[in-house]
Amino acid sequence: MCWGQTGIFTFGQAALFGIGGYVVGIVTTKSTLTDIGALLLVAVFAGALVGLLLGIFLFSGKRVGELYVALVTLAISYICERLANSWTLLGSGNGIPGISYPTIFGKKIDSSVGLFFLAFAVFAVALILCIIIVNSQFGLTMNAVRDDEERAEFFGYRRSVIQIAVFVFSAALAASGGALFAVSEGFVSPSMSGLALSTTTVLWVVLGGRGTFYGPLIALTVLQVVNIQMQNALPSLWPILVGLMLLLTMIFLPKGLTSLPSKIRESRRKRVQV
Amino acid sequence: MKLLELKSVTKKFGPLVAVDSASMFIGENEIVGLIGPNGSGKSTLLHAICGRTFATEGIIYLQGIDVTHKPPQIRAKAGMAIKFQLARIYLEKTVRENLLISLQAKDSIWRQLRSASLEAFEAKIAALAEEFQLEEYLTEPAKSLSHGQQQWLEIAMAMAVDPILLLLDEPTAGMSPKERADTSLLIKKASKKCGVLIVEHDLDFIKELCDRISVLHHGKIVASGTPKEIENDPRVKEVYLTRV
Repeated sequence: MCWGQTGIFTFGQAALFGIGGYVVGIVTTKSTLTDIGALLLVAVFAGALVGLLLGIFLFSGKRVGELYVALVTLAISYICERLANSWTLLGSGNGIPGISYPTIFGKKIDSSVGLFFLAFAVFAVALILCIIIVNSQFGLTMNAVRDDEERAEFFGYRRSVIQIAVFVFSAALAASGGALFAVSEGFVSPSMSGLALSTTTVLWVVLGGRGTFYGPLIALTVLQVVNIQMQNALPSLWPILVGLMLLLTMIFLPKGLTSLPSKIRESRRKRVQV
Repeated sequence: MKLLELKSVTKKFGPLVAVDSASMFIGENEIVGLIGPNGSGKSTLLHAICGRTFATEGIIYLQGIDVTHKPPQIRAKAGMAIKFQLARIYLEKTVRENLLISLQAKDSIWRQLRSASLEAFEAKIAALAEEFQLEEYLTEPAKSLSHGQQQWLEIAMAMAVDPILLLLDEPTAGMSPKERADTSLLIKKASKKCGVLIVEHDLDFIKELCDRISVLHHGKIVASGTPKEIENDPRVKEVYLTRV
């Protein structure tokens, strides 16, 4: 939504993911609240609030470049990781362990299958919401801002309001992901809001294809599956290979892996014409 | 009634005075031309009018309201629309989507999320496409249009929101004679609905189209009047016409 549809190149999704996770961590360890609906609501609210403040800071003034947003959000991720590492309320370097299993209508979800379906249900709702938004008139507005934000302003669009709205929505989604991570893993740690995850999320989008929903999903699945195998087989070489893969994708497939079939079709057509 | 009024508008870039105390006005349904040699300050003055840059001194009124330091989106909401020198349309989007982008600009986010205006806009899109000879290309991406058609699409996008003032920056640049004649007709038609300010190099084009012309030289308006008065003005001949 942020980068692919609106052109907001952000490294801050991990920070917002971490905020969702930590909010759930604090709430569940300091109170008896375990209802997943309420926990998600609190996490989404916290993420949206931080997203709103950050969005106002980033977009309410004059137009800023993609690089500026990327650098500021990268710095925010770094600050969040450092803060989580040093603040005792957040468990410092140890994070917050012992987060209890969530409940739904009073029933505890403690099996991995149950937690999977819970995450899948939230994911499905989020995906449907994204599809509805992108296919509405507002989807076109997001693209107008992405493709030429100054031109959009000359048509009368309130560019900053649109960017802030999308940023808040993405922040809420990231926070809900963090909340689900916290309840399914049972702990939160500083690394979940840090630079590594920030760059990894961008990597999924670049590899999969900017502006598509299934592209990052494919990239995430492929990378995660390969990651587990390769980290054992080639522990020191694997990160370099990932970097190389990213570089090659950006050069030869700027629209990501999802554009590969159309690229092949196009080259076949050209060969037939010759 | 004056739609647009400029009172001693000056734009400085450091020590450089790009526009020096320019005053002019545009009335309802009037077509006003702004001409001048390269580097005379035409584009800077147009940018000050549309809000791309702000005037250093002076006042710009749009229907009597001071918009001198208002951002472009406020001016757009007040009824100002612009067509840039190089067509700034959404090349990857279809012609229909381009027109829709312009039409829905003033809708609230909530209305857009519900696609509440879509049905009402379809009729307007069809009418605009017919008026600007684009009906065959509605589902085509804008990048597949010819240069002239891209210029028309941008004028159509500007006219889509029923502006009170249309700003055109060299609307016929790079067009064939036939396309220029068609564009002239389109601008005349547009002037029945709003005031038009044209910044142009092509004197013949601007002479037959405009009610009044202002001539800019070294950032100063050196002459204003009807096309005939401008043609016969010795200052204009000296600073502009002899250079062309």
